[in-house]
Amino acid sequence: MKRAYLVFIVAGLVLAATVLWFLSSDTQFKPYDLVEIGIVLMVVGFAVYLGYKRFSSAKRGEPAEDEMSKKVMRKTASWSYYISLYLWLAIMYFSDRIKLENHALIGAGILGMAVVFAISWLVINFGGIKNE
Amino acid sequence: MNNRIREYRARLDLTQDDLARKVNVRRETIVFLEKNKYNPSLKLAHDIARVFGVTIEEIFIFVP
Repeated sequence: MKRAYLVFIVAGLVLAATVLWFLSSDTQFKPYDLVEIGIVLMVVGFAVYLGYKRFSSAKRGEPAEDEMSKKVMRKTASWSYYISLYLWLAIMYFSDRIKLENHALIGAGILGMAVVFAISWLVINFGGIKNE
Repeated sequence: MNNRIREYRARLDLTQDDLARKVNVRRETIVFLEKNKYNPSLKLAHDIARVFGVTIEEIFIFVP
């Protein structure tokens, strides 16, 4: 149950930081910034969905995590790590060709990793794990 | 690997929720097991067989 709350707290903090950044920034937002905000919202939505699943399981008297959900997480972590290596290679390759500041490139990489993790989780969780 | 969890669950008139609580996993895991989308650990297979009062081999059928 505690871990379910933790996901909600972290998601809330990320959302609050994004809203603060959006409201306090005096620069004009470019389309790229709006895409970044959209991805952050997607990642927060994903975290809230995971937290809700844990919370509802705990409410029904089931464990918040069991052997299948742990296995899904382990496989998701391994897939997303492997894919992220190629993501960073691609970012390094394109960094010479696209004019973006360093912090924007690093931000894109981190957001990309979060998106890769979310997509990997969806594929593995709904596809199932067999013979492992 | 195929299994006969749904059949045995129906015999004992257990819901997926009931079985999940008895073997201490989430209902989602039982759903995936019944759809043959997840192969359980030996411990979970043992726990399920014990709930149904049969051997593991009667529930889980290995298909090479």
